Amino acid sequence: MARPHWTPNRALAAAALLLGVVAIAGNPYRGSTVSIDTQELATIVGSTVDHVTVQELADWIIQGRTDYRLIDLRSEPEYAAYHIPTAESVPVALLPQYGLGRNEKIVLYSEGGIHSAQAWFLLRAQKYPGAYILFGGLETWKDEVLYPVVPATATPQETAAFERTAQVARFFDGGPRAAAAAADSGSLIALPAMPAAPGISIVPPGAPAAGGPARPGAKKKRKEGC
Amino acid sequence: MNAPFYRFAAFGDEASLVVAFVIGIGFGFFLERGGFGSARKLTSQFYLDDLAVFKVMFTAIVTAMLGVFYLSWLGIMDLSLVDLVTTNLWPQIVGGLVLGFGFVIGGYCPGTSLVAAVTGRIDGMVFILGVLAGIFVFGEAFPLLKGFYESGDFGRLTLPQAFHLPYGLVVFLVVVMAVGGFVGAEWVERRFAPPAAER
Repeated sequence: MARPHWTPNRALAAAALLLGVVAIAGNPYRGSTVSIDTQELATIVGSTVDHVTVQELADWIIQGRTDYRLIDLRSEPEYAAYHIPTAESVPVALLPQYGLGRNEKIVLYSEGGIHSAQAWFLLRAQKYPGAYILFGGLETWKDEVLYPVVPATATPQETAAFERTAQVARFFDGGPRAAAAAADSGSLIALPAMPAAPGISIVPPGAPAAGGPARPGAKKKRKEGC
Repeated sequence: MNAPFYRFAAFGDEASLVVAFVIGIGFGFFLERGGFGSARKLTSQFYLDDLAVFKVMFTAIVTAMLGVFYLSWLGIMDLSLVDLVTTNLWPQIVGGLVLGFGFVIGGYCPGTSLVAAVTGRIDGMVFILGVLAGIFVFGEAFPLLKGFYESGDFGRLTLPQAFHLPYGLVVFLVVVMAVGGFVGAEWVERRFAPPAAER
């Protein structure tokens, strides 16, 4: 009776089988179910790493990035009236059932910041590590991206730096406004009209060349191969 | 530190390209060392006398599966954060057939054709030109193909979800399938091996 001959291949196959047998008792998702770590959440809140600024978001949209989901937490009529290009409408009450993936980068925004902060806690409590808040919400988007204020007393360097901001504003159908006009118009700023197809922005003729072709709303495509 | 590192922002977009470059070099190196830069080696699996490709693929699947499973079980990695490609059944069946026919006819799959090309094989370079031409034609024809491309959408489906089986049981069954495949492959190789004089 010959003893089984342990070639490296057979030893590896046996090890794989053993690991396979032990695996029957296991669950890979067990390791990710932990209780809410309030200290961890508090640290994140304090360090503001959970924020996405409106300028960052504007750059992502211009670059046509598709690796994030932008969630508009306001009511549907408000969404229909105006929303940031690429945004999906999900009123806060519907957020827990909405099909968001844990492996996705989720950017939340509301009018100001309260609803998005509450929604952020909802998602973090459900172990969505990729939840972010659009800092300042739609109001800041309006003030800093759509209608940035031209600095009244600007050095030439500041004016040159502002030109890029103005280009971004025009990309989103907005435009810079003078400091004096900003002072008395208050919050009564008319938002640009939405294009017919929601979620798809029309590229204005003066779109910044540096941003490359913009494809907001482009369908996600992934690459794979052997 | 927990994996996946990219999802936990251990490195950013730019650094991820460096990581991809390093992994890609390693992948190409081991493909070449395995002999997979040669169309003869690759196509001999279709003559059933050398099933190295089959064995390497199944070994890679089992190694990666066990690694991911145990890292997640131990809590080092969060599997729910790993990206999954959506299952689009019909276009993926057709795509698999196209790739299979291309493999049999051309002697390479996309990755191995790159290995062949950079090691100076002319057939590999021609194969890459064909791949690029195919990508171009597909891209230009995409408006016509879009409906089919997005059909049969099952979302991000995994085997445990599809068969309603516990995750660990699926891991075990895949390992059993692989080991059975190795035993079968070696038997087939002995059966179909050409006489020593021909080699």
